[in-house]
Amino acid sequence: MDTVFLMNSLWVMISAVLVILMIGGFILLETGSTRMKNAGHIAGKTILTFGISSIVFWAVGYGLIFGEGNSILGFSDFFYSGYDIEGLGLSGAVFFLFQLAFAGISLTIAFGGFAERAKLSVYLVFALLFSVLVYPFIAHWIWGGGWLAEHGKQDFAGSTVVHLTGAMAALAATILLKPRIGKYNKDGSANNIEGHNQVFTALSVLLLWVGWFGFNAGSTVSVDGAFFGFVALNTNLAAAAGTVAAMLISWIVVGKADVPMMLNGALAGLVAITASCAFVDTWAAVVIGLIAGILVFYSIRFFESRKIDDPIFALSVHGTAGVWGTLSTGFFATPELATVGKPGLFYGGGFEQLGVQALGVVASGAFAFIVSYIILSIMKVAMKGLRVTEEEEIIGLDISEHGSYGYPELVNKEAAAKGSIEVTGTANVPLSSQHPSVN
Amino acid sequence: MNFNDYSNINAIRARGLSDVTFSNDQLNHFHDLIYEQVISAAVSKLSKEFGNPPSPFCFFVMGSAGRMEQSIWSDQDHGLVFKTNSNESQEYFLKLGKEIAEGLDLAGYKKCSGSVMASNPLWCKSLKDWENQLGLWVGVSSWESIRYLLIFADARTIYGDHSLLNILKEKAFDEVKREQLLLRMLHNTMFLKKGVGVLGQLLVETHGAFTGSINLKETAFFPFVNAARLLSFYEGIKETPTLSRISLLSDVVMPHQDKSLYSRNFSALLDYRLKHGSHRDYDSGHYVNINKLAKDEKKALKEILKVGEQFYEHVRKLLERK
Repeated sequence: MDTVFLMNSLWVMISAVLVILMIGGFILLETGSTRMKNAGHIAGKTILTFGISSIVFWAVGYGLIFGEGNSILGFSDFFYSGYDIEGLGLSGAVFFLFQLAFAGISLTIAFGGFAERAKLSVYLVFALLFSVLVYPFIAHWIWGGGWLAEHGKQDFAGSTVVHLTGAMAALAATILLKPRIGKYNKDGSANNIEGHNQVFTALSVLLLWVGWFGFNAGSTVSVDGAFFGFVALNTNLAAAAGTVAAMLISWIVVGKADVPMMLNGALAGLVAITASCAFVDTWAAVVIGLIAGILVFYSIRFFESRKIDDPIFALSVHGTAGVWGTLSTGFFATPELATVGKPGLFYGGGFEQLGVQALGVVASGAFAFIVSYIILSIMKVAMKGLRVTEEEEIIGLDISEHGSYGYPELVNKEAAAKGSIEVTGTANVPLSSQHPSVN
Repeated sequence: MNFNDYSNINAIRARGLSDVTFSNDQLNHFHDLIYEQVISAAVSKLSKEFGNPPSPFCFFVMGSAGRMEQSIWSDQDHGLVFKTNSNESQEYFLKLGKEIAEGLDLAGYKKCSGSVMASNPLWCKSLKDWENQLGLWVGVSSWESIRYLLIFADARTIYGDHSLLNILKEKAFDEVKREQLLLRMLHNTMFLKKGVGVLGQLLVETHGAFTGSINLKETAFFPFVNAARLLSFYEGIKETPTLSRISLLSDVVMPHQDKSLYSRNFSALLDYRLKHGSHRDYDSGHYVNINKLAKDEKKALKEILKVGEQFYEHVRKLLERK
C-alpha cells in the first residue's frame, strides 16, 4: 500500500483522537466554570450528547455535508459503511471519524449556552435536531463544496463552521432559557456566579489547547510537506497571545489579574486562529491571538450587560472570537499561503477576500441562529418549557435530572451548612474581611 | 431597663442622626452618646438584678468606633476589662457584656459578625487575664493573634476606668516592640484593593448589588487606617483616631509636610464618605456610585486614593528599613 496514504491516515487518525479528547476538555471547562450541584449532570450529558451526535452524523450528517447534492446540501452517502472515498489520499473511515469529531465539538459548544438550567430531555432532542438541521448546512456550504466554498471562503479548520455555528445555537438557547436564578439583581446589576473549580477550568484549557493541534493541524488531512507543523505553530502562538492579552486587558481595565478571563483569552486565541492557521504568517498569528484576547474581555462584559446569561462564555469565546478569526484571513492571508480564496487586505488583495469572509460570517451566523431559535421555540411549546423548575434549579440538576450528586459528600455538607446559617444567623465571613473594621 | 428602653434609645438615635450627618466629629460624638446611654442602662439593669459591679472596670470600643471614624450605620466592636481577678467578677461582667451587646443591637448597632464583643469571653477579662492574653498573642504571633492585636490597638475607653485600658495598651506596645512584631503586622495588612487603575480610572465593582460603585472601605480607608495604626505601635501612640495618630508622630519619623498631606486627605475622605456614601444600611455606606459624581469630585477621590497608597508605601518602607 502507498506509504503516503498510510501516513496521511495515521496522522488524521491521531488528530481525530485529539479532537475527540477535546470533549474531555469541554467537560472540565463547563463543570469547572459552573457550580458543584450541576457537575455530574454536565459531565454526563456531554458524553451522552456526543453519542447522539456521532450516530446522527453516521446516519445522515456526513451525507448531508459531503454527499452529492446542490450548493445548499448534499444528498448521498448516508449510513456510511467504511468504504474508501475517491481522491482523498487517506482512509475513508479515518476521514469520516475526523469529521464526526468536528460535528460533536460544534454541538458541545452549543450546549454551553444551556448550562445549569435546561432539562435533560431538551439536550437529547436538540442534539438530534442540531445535528440534522443546523450543522450540516453550514459545513456543506463551506467544506462540502456548497455556495460559500464557490466564493472562496477561507475557514481552514472551522472558526465559522464549528465555533460560530455552535455559539449561535448557544445564543438562541440562552435567550430563550433566560438567565439563571440569582444572576441578575432587581436593579439590573449582574452577580458573578463563580465556577466551582478553577483548576478544572485551567486543565480544560490545556486539554483543549493540545487537542487543537488535532483540530487545526489535523485539518491539513495529509502529511504533505509536513505543513501540519506550521499550522500547529500558528495555533500555539495565537493561544499564547490570547492568554497574555486577556490577562493584561483585565488587569488594566478592572485592576485584577482575573484567572477565568485569562483562560478565556487562551480559548479565544485558539478559536480565532482556527480559520486562519494555514493562511497567515506567524507574526499575524500572534496579532490575531492578541486581538482575540482583548475582544473576548469586552465581549463578555457586553453580553452580561445585555442581560444575556452565558455561564461558560461560549458566546464570546466561540462566537465573537469565531467571527474575528474568520474575518482575520481577510486581512492577513498571504499570497503564498492562500491556497483557497485570495490574499488579504494587508497583502494587496483589497477588500475582496474580506468581503467573502464577512458574507460567510453573516450568512452562517444568521442561519445557525435563526434555525436554532425556531427549533428551540417549537421545542419550548411541545415540551412544555425548556427549563427545569425553580426548585429543581436550586437543588441542582445532578439530583433533579439524574437522582445523584456528582459530589455527594460535598454538596450535602454544603446544604447542611446553609441550613445552619439560616438557623443561627452567622454566616462564615472570611476572617480577612472582618477586622480591623473601618465602617 | 427592658426591651422598650433600648428601643427608645434607638428612636432617639434615629431622630438625632440627621442633625449630625454633615460632620464626622459630631457624628462620632453622637454615637458615643448613644453608647453611653445604652451602657448606663445596662449597668443599672444588672445592678438591680445582681447588685453593683464587683470591681472597677473599663468598657472600650474598637474598630471604627474606637477610632471615632464611624459612618452613619455602624456595627459593634467592643471589649471589657475589670480590675478584680475573680470568678464572681468574670461571671458578672460577662453578663454585663451580653446585656450591652443586646442593648446596642436594639439601639440600632448590628452585632459583630466576628464576635469581637464584650459578650465573648475572649474580649471580656480581668486585668491580669488580659495581660496574659496580650502576652500570649504576641508570643504565638500567628496570623490570627496578630490580627487580634491590630484590633485591640484601636481600643478606646467609652465607659468606666480609663487607666485599666492604658495599662493594657502599654503592655501591648512593649510586648510588640520586644518581639519585633511590626513587620509581621505590616504583612498582615499588606493586601490592599486597588482603587485606581493603570490608566488612571477609578476601579469599581463589576458585579453584585454595588456594580459601578467604588468600595471606599477597602480602597481608600484601609491604607490610611492601617498605616496610621502601624505607626502608633512604632511610636507608642495610645490615641486611636487616624488623624490624631498622624499628628502625634514625631517629626523624625515623618516630616511635617507629609503629615499634613496625609491628614488633609484622610479628613477629606471622612467628609467624602458622609457626603457621597449610599447610607441605606451598613454595607451601602462604604460604596460610592461614581456615575453620580461630578468631574471634580472624581478627581478629588482619585487624589485621596493616590495619597492613601503613598502613605501606606511610606510606612512600609519605613518599617522594612528597620
